[in-house]
Amino acid sequence: MATLEQVGSAPLERAGASAWRLGALAWITGWWVAGRVVVVAATLVVHHFGPSGWIRHVQHAHALGPLEAWDGRWYRIVASSGYLLVPGRQSDPAFFPLYPVLMRGVHTLGAGYATSGLILSNVGFLIALVAFYALTHALLGDSMARRATAYLAVFPFGYTFSMIYPESIVLALIALAALAAMRGRWGWAATCAAAAALARPEGLFVAVPLVALAWQQRETLSRAKRGLALGAVLAPLAAIGSFSLYLGHVLGDPLAWSQAQRAWGREFRPLGAVHAIEHLGTAFSRDAWVVRDVVAVVLYLILLVVAARAGVTWPWLLSGLAIVVLPLFSGSFDSVSRFGLLAPALFWGLAALGRDPRVNRLVLTISPLLLAAAIVTLPLRFP
Amino acid sequence: MRAGGVTLCVAGVLTAAVLGAGFAVQKALPTPPHTSQTAIRAATWFERYRLVESTFTLGDGPAVHGTCLQDWFVLNGHRRRGAALRLDSGFVLLAVPPHTLEARGGTVVQGATSPLVLLELGGCPRVFARRLSTLAAEHRGLTQTGNTLAFDLKGTRVTLTLDPQSGRPLALRVVTSAATGVSRIRFTAVTTQRRRELARGLPVYES
Repeated sequence: MATLEQVGSAPLERAGASAWRLGALAWITGWWVAGRVVVVAATLVVHHFGPSGWIRHVQHAHALGPLEAWDGRWYRIVASSGYLLVPGRQSDPAFFPLYPVLMRGVHTLGAGYATSGLILSNVGFLIALVAFYALTHALLGDSMARRATAYLAVFPFGYTFSMIYPESIVLALIALAALAAMRGRWGWAATCAAAAALARPEGLFVAVPLVALAWQQRETLSRAKRGLALGAVLAPLAAIGSFSLYLGHVLGDPLAWSQAQRAWGREFRPLGAVHAIEHLGTAFSRDAWVVRDVVAVVLYLILLVVAARAGVTWPWLLSGLAIVVLPLFSGSFDSVSRFGLLAPALFWGLAALGRDPRVNRLVLTISPLLLAAAIVTLPLRFP
Repeated sequence: MRAGGVTLCVAGVLTAAVLGAGFAVQKALPTPPHTSQTAIRAATWFERYRLVESTFTLGDGPAVHGTCLQDWFVLNGHRRRGAALRLDSGFVLLAVPPHTLEARGGTVVQGATSPLVLLELGGCPRVFARRLSTLAAEHRGLTQTGNTLAFDLKGTRVTLTLDPQSGRPLALRVVTSAATGVSRIRFTAVTTQRRRELARGLPVYES
């Protein structure tokens, strides 16, 4: 039975927790604003002063035009006109459907497709930061959560979170799926995991931490909940299956997305990673920007090692490793810097390094500068 | 056993629900415009064949028979893809991007006509395949009226007449500010002998 003191303190504790949550939310929002101010300011510079490159058609269209470039064009096409496979050429089935579906949803409220994408990505990133903070807090404690979230908010490759790309939404869904699973809400975990996979193929890898969480909870779950947990693990795969089903229905080819990926030079082969490394010299002579992604792969692998030493559990490490390494099996390093944004373990590794106050200061000083510099490269190289 | 059965049953139902819900969510996307689908079918025909025979007239001029071969050519030691158009008047046009455009023989009118117009009237397949694919993928610049498909190509207005069943291009009309031409085209398979005949006097790559 609760004592009078305990009964009296319960509302105070609730109020305290609520105040703490509000404080954390305000702190996260502050970092979100800081990061996005850097992005918007650098975008304005690119819009007004260049450099001139591949995205001229949107770069000078309006102030935030550069954020609509590259894949943003394809997502807009899918949202406005649906999928169309052009055999042997780059076409839109390479782009997963959830993000354009959401763009279409926002568009019905009166915004243009490009505006819809920008709203989705940036609001999605705020949600991603909150969910990521909550997940990190639950797994690694408050100080790690604060550092990791701040680093994520101003991460140099994180400008994609503000572009018409689904990365921010997917990161939010991955974190929410894991949080829901940790709290035993397997129905929600399944929904978020499925949605993540329907937005980007990397969403599939959230199944790894979900398997581990389901296994940890196996003794305490009822039979029905165990079924839900198993369903949540299979949900990302089923979501990708639904995309194939849809493409089969619309285009008559369930594998249209993989066919379209081939036209982008992404064909997975068992020795693809070896070829990617072997042909690095040729790739560099064709386009020196490949260095950016090679550096990102090396950095990400180091961060995963640091994360492992800091006590990050193997399912998150494995999921992060898959996100960073598997794309190399397509024979190319292209865009791995962006793909890595969907691996929470990388930011936990960075946060572990940031335990040293000097490293923390260094990361928080250099990251926003690199973030701004990365946006300036947008006209020259796709994310 | 029963416990496992309940677990599997719930997991199966959830997986099926995700599959169904995922499909339903995607139904919110529009189906691609019919015009774009028609253009893709036409582009696929042009992609499939390297040799096109044509009979065309330019303005009030006489009917001319042409043959366009898409092939590899060796120019300045580099192997490049291009097109060679031969007309029965003896006119030969070699177009190999990015820098080679050579014409010889033929009538004065043919020599004075834009090479692009001649390549279009000759039904040179890559010229159309690339343009149709681009416009179809971007869902713009295509107008379909019945079994005709019209689009712009570098200052020319092209109207393709398509077979209603297969979508195969049968004829085309090219309009520019200077001239109008109409052409009937026929896709043909390339045989070694046919290629040798058409490659006569041209720097075709021999593997």
